[in-house]
Amino acid sequence: MKWLTYIWIGILLLITGISIPQCLNTAGEGSFINKTGQQSTLDPQGPIAQNQLDVFYVTLWVTLFLFITVGGALAFATWKFRVRKGDDPDFIPAQSHGHPLVELGLVVGSAALLVVIAIPTFSGILLKDQIPVPEDGEVIEINVTGYQWWWGFEYPEHGIHTANEIVFPAGKVVKLNLKANDVIHSFWLPKLAGKLDLIPGRDNKMWIQADEPGYFWGQCAEYCGDSHAYMLFRAVALSEEDYAAWVVDQQTQSVVGEADYSPVNFEEADKDLVLKGTDLFVQNCARCHSVDPNVQTMGPNLAHFGSRTSIAAGWLENEPENLEHWILHPDKVKPGNFMWKGFPDPYNPKGPPQMEGLKDANLTREDAQALVAYLYSLK
Amino acid sequence: MSTTQATYGTWSRPLKKTGLVGFLTTVDHKKIGIGYAIGALFFLLVGGVEALIIRLQLMSPENNLVDAETYNQLFTMHGTTMVFLAVMPLSAAFFNYIMPLQIGARDVAFPRLNALGLWCFIAGGVIVNLSWFFQAAPAIGWFGYAPLTSKQFDPDIGTDFWIIGLQILGIASLAGSFNFITTILNMRAPGLTMMRLPVFTWMTLITSFLIILAFPPITIALVELMFDRHFGTHFFNVAGGGKPILWQHVFWIFGHPEVYILILPAMGIISEVLPVFSRKPLFGYPLVVFSGAVIGFLGFAVWSHHMFTTGLGIVATSAFAFLTMLISIPTGVKIFNWIGTLWGGRISFSVPMLYALGFIWMFMMGGFTGIMHSSPPVDAQQQDSYFVIAHFHYVLIGGSIFALLCGIYFWFPKVTGKLMDEAVGKIFFYTIFFGFNLAFFPMHILGMTGMPRRTHTYKAEMGWAEPNFWSTIGALILGVGIAAVVLQVIYSCFKGKPSGNNPWDARTLEWDTSSPPKEYNFGYTPIIKARDQVWENNHGTDLKKMDKIAPDSHGIHMPDQSWWPLVVSIGLFIAGLGVVFHHQTWGMLIPFIGGDSVISLLHITMPGLLLTFFGIYMWALEGPGGYHLHPDPEELKSAIDPKESGHWE
Repeated sequence: MKWLTYIWIGILLLITGISIPQCLNTAGEGSFINKTGQQSTLDPQGPIAQNQLDVFYVTLWVTLFLFITVGGALAFATWKFRVRKGDDPDFIPAQSHGHPLVELGLVVGSAALLVVIAIPTFSGILLKDQIPVPEDGEVIEINVTGYQWWWGFEYPEHGIHTANEIVFPAGKVVKLNLKANDVIHSFWLPKLAGKLDLIPGRDNKMWIQADEPGYFWGQCAEYCGDSHAYMLFRAVALSEEDYAAWVVDQQTQSVVGEADYSPVNFEEADKDLVLKGTDLFVQNCARCHSVDPNVQTMGPNLAHFGSRTSIAAGWLENEPENLEHWILHPDKVKPGNFMWKGFPDPYNPKGPPQMEGLKDANLTREDAQALVAYLYSLK
Repeated sequence: MSTTQATYGTWSRPLKKTGLVGFLTTVDHKKIGIGYAIGALFFLLVGGVEALIIRLQLMSPENNLVDAETYNQLFTMHGTTMVFLAVMPLSAAFFNYIMPLQIGARDVAFPRLNALGLWCFIAGGVIVNLSWFFQAAPAIGWFGYAPLTSKQFDPDIGTDFWIIGLQILGIASLAGSFNFITTILNMRAPGLTMMRLPVFTWMTLITSFLIILAFPPITIALVELMFDRHFGTHFFNVAGGGKPILWQHVFWIFGHPEVYILILPAMGIISEVLPVFSRKPLFGYPLVVFSGAVIGFLGFAVWSHHMFTTGLGIVATSAFAFLTMLISIPTGVKIFNWIGTLWGGRISFSVPMLYALGFIWMFMMGGFTGIMHSSPPVDAQQQDSYFVIAHFHYVLIGGSIFALLCGIYFWFPKVTGKLMDEAVGKIFFYTIFFGFNLAFFPMHILGMTGMPRRTHTYKAEMGWAEPNFWSTIGALILGVGIAAVVLQVIYSCFKGKPSGNNPWDARTLEWDTSSPPKEYNFGYTPIIKARDQVWENNHGTDLKKMDKIAPDSHGIHMPDQSWWPLVVSIGLFIAGLGVVFHHQTWGMLIPFIGGDSVISLLHITMPGLLLTFFGIYMWALEGPGGYHLHPDPEELKSAIDPKESGHWE
């Protein structure tokens, strides 16, 4: 029996031993040790995330100190006072009941360590909650609305609506007004800042700032229903000039307009496909998706879709095969998705949908390819 | 044995002590304790299977072992099952079985109310899990945030199963708590002052107060949610003027004390076991007791640390951060005192002791991540990520479950009169220890690298595949370990070697009874002269040895059995089921033959309530009852005749 125990413990130690380097050196781009994971909090790219990481390290050092001292005392006591072979089995050690002075000292010591954590904590709270007003008064303000299961981004100053990809200038304070359309969501862009919830009926505000231009990943961090796991988003910090150019691009219409959904620019060679795509779009998609950057409807705004980097709220890269798959099988990409099953009637959620989805549209592969061509011409 | 009983013709009190009738009508705290333990271990395995499916789904990126809807149901049910149907009832099993023995009582103050607690636990557990059979398990998370739980976003009946199940479970917890408080305050043996109570009994008392004060908020919250869903109110519905954040506040005013309800009994068990296997008294007993009370009290002042990311504002966030940091002090005090108990002792590594030492270490680590969460800037990144999952599993498995397993191995000889094999127990301990750490330590890394919780899957690019893979391996090992322990418990019930009354040379009063204790617990009335009375009896001076007063001539008064707690629970079960299914068709409740007509509250709920009230009425009518029996004369050797004792009986 004893050998069995030793062999089994050996196996357990081996498994543990193998797992440690594997967990620390996670493969691909997301390595823990290299701190380059897409959503890693250990790779701060802005002042808030940096501050939050700094406070984390304070707590880490304090708790590591406690682990060594208290854990060490535990280990030492267990080793030193253990029953040894040959000991008198009836031996009774001194029945001491306590030592008030030691207790008092330990309580005071613990409180002191907490003060070490408390001080940067309170300044961190202020940093996150007090939205700074920069000297030049220029704050970029973006209205973030959480929907099941995508993000609407509105730039009130510029009259732009977009979705799932938030763009802003680097080096500047970006103020986010967080609203929820349906249930509670949470805006988490780990490399720039800790999260804040989007709560229906409540106006939460936060600020972010990227030190340098860059590309970041974010994800909804409050369970919001069937496709919570698939509600990601992308964030792009641009230089000031690039941002100004982006704003102008977004404000420009990519479709002819006045009820004409056909794109302004497209390759002459693709004309048939694109026009077929336009018709299909009007028939099947336009009731939920606007392609006019000034107008927000029930689904993500698709103006300038062709220039976005991701589809389905950050879940798929924006490539033709992915887009085709998304159009034909939204339910397989994001379970419970309204694009497939239709938008439910809030007063009769189990009845016929308020807005029909693609479930009964019976789109063929050629239809999907036409729509892909159309959407990619909306640059 | 002579007996007298109340009779109403055919409604006489049931007499059979054995068999199915004996079990269904029992009011014996020991049998009820075992009933809680069997139920809890069953649901522990159910919750464990749910966890393993979750872990297998997450083993690789973009996996689809179960679909997203099922996955969302799994994590909801896993959390609900483990909190309400595994840890709480397992704690209740120990409160029930051990506490009366520790205070020298023969049963609890209200034996029939105690039985009601057991049957309501079963009823509530069945209702919550019945949802699986209707393919309508709730998918709302164990804390069911509004407005996701509204009829608009959650039209199916899963949430209704959840609401009603929890309400009935609340009745069970409250019934138990009123009972335990009354018992501890009123039924202690003579000489057993509060400061001589075993720490486990103290934690029973404090936990019971926590339950009484914490369950009303969740009861109210669940009623409000039910009314929003079915009766057109707008507590949490913005369109009607309500506030979703209200749910969070009311839930967490319950939810935070709830986690102390989950851990204080565990700390009580550890405080019993460490002294026994160090052969020294608990270091700093008054401070351990006092810090337990402080934790309980402060536990009501920190609830919004679960809401640091909801935008509470600077003042509220700072206040809750400060109070949360404060609560780590009494917790630390306990850990220091446990180490002080070990210090200078003579430590033997029995299986209960291994779990107790593991508890101190794992709970300490969970406490450290708790300290990290107490700082809002740090929590802003950690909240709703796998870091939180790592934290609470360290304190709930490494803490509560380790302590409850410790309690099982420690008190098994007392409950069954048999020993569990030490060598086998150690193998299972190491399995659980390694499996647990392998499963949950990588989750700290996942949280730090941005993996949110309650996610069906994740993208391969994130770099989360390896920690998730190894976490699943750990979970499988942990699952094997837990299942093995349950099997060892069952096996040892039949094949364990005889243990004797006090195989561990333990210190507290329950070890002075036979193993298992007689139906009446103590043949004599003990007169207590010290803390750790049994230790003083065996190793102390004559001055502190316990006196025993024999019962007087009419014998020991015992409570009669009763059908009515079971009847009341069945009535509540039926009424609850009726609420879940009202406005659904009969065909949904009874497939194939039900038909299309709609169930109204009159069809099922009304009869259920009538049965409940009938049961309560008959319960009141039958009165306390009771009979007398005479104890085994062997036990009364060296007992003092009551007439000469100068003490009351």
